[in-house]
Amino acid sequence: MTDGLQILAQTVISSNLILVQGLGLYALTRYTKSVREAAGAGVKTLAGMLIGSILLWLLSPIVPSSPAPQVGFYLLVGLVASLAASKLVMCETSGTDQAVDGALVGLLLLLGRGNTVGFQNVWTAFGAGLGFLLVLVVVATVRRRLDLAPIPKPLRGLPILLITVGLLGMALLGFRF
Amino acid sequence: MKQFGDGLFAKNPVLVLALGLVPAVAVTTTAMNGLALGILAAVVMLVAAAVNWALIPYVPENAKLAVRVLVLIVLVTFAYGVLVQRNPGLAAGLGIFLPLLAFDELLLRAGDGEKSLPAALLGACGQGLGFALVLVLLGVVREFLGMGTVFGKQIVSGALAPFSLAGTVPGGMVILGLLLAFVNLVSKRGGELHD
Repeated sequence: MTDGLQILAQTVISSNLILVQGLGLYALTRYTKSVREAAGAGVKTLAGMLIGSILLWLLSPIVPSSPAPQVGFYLLVGLVASLAASKLVMCETSGTDQAVDGALVGLLLLLGRGNTVGFQNVWTAFGAGLGFLLVLVVVATVRRRLDLAPIPKPLRGLPILLITVGLLGMALLGFRF
Repeated sequence: MKQFGDGLFAKNPVLVLALGLVPAVAVTTTAMNGLALGILAAVVMLVAAAVNWALIPYVPENAKLAVRVLVLIVLVTFAYGVLVQRNPGLAAGLGIFLPLLAFDELLLRAGDGEKSLPAALLGACGQGLGFALVLVLLGVVREFLGMGTVFGKQIVSGALAPFSLAGTVPGGMVILGLLLAFVNLVSKRGGELHD
């Protein structure tokens, strides 16, 4: 049980996918215009991560052992999982039809490099997806405040968003689990 | 030639279109990493643009994205295999971010919307070089701030305390944010989040 909680704390906080690992910045910049949209995109990614990690768990006997085919294998699983997730979870995301998800594939690649196997990976994926969802919602809320703040013109938009997210991430760097 | 110049400056993928932010923030802890990933991305993009140009018109609308990703998966896996064999240290330094290029919106758009092959190739070339340029710039700044070195060579010693946050992902976000603000200031743009 403590192990499970520790993994959850690690994946949500001290190695948060967006803030500490730098994955999923596309979603962060595109899908955080409203809290609703951010929550939708986050749930979609969370579903994709669960599907992907379960697929990896089921397919673990046939993962290639040499490095390049292995990477190709993880990328393929990531493609299947993100397509499946976008079919399963219908939500309105503005802009392009971004059905593939960089953060999801990044997580699968990270799982592949770790030494953990089996069900623990699914739990890790759940934590990572939860952390991802949380950050998207938090950033969407922060952006509503940023819209009202008197920001110098060159910093408006993406620059101030990146700086804000960077500061959020620095706060998380202090945690060790 | 217009496509080429656009990709380098007026439509620079990172600085103007805000694409490819993940590698720009995560990989550029050293100038060498930035240069290596930039060059690899540019090469992959060039090949992908040619393949997409030949293939995409014959693919049904709802499968286009999947085909684009599949093309990139093949190319990136190949590039990763070559890099692991030639230079395992560098491959380890780039980590998951070289394979991850297969899902980057920037590379997925390679050769998008261009009618002729030369135009698609020139566009991809310009975008790839523009991307590489920004990665090297970020790498130089972050390596200098973080370790006082550039491309592994000691520039200052003792005078400037290493600012280790520059080597972390959040530090990279702040530095990229400041760079974008500087570009906005110089080009007199800014205000809206571009997408």
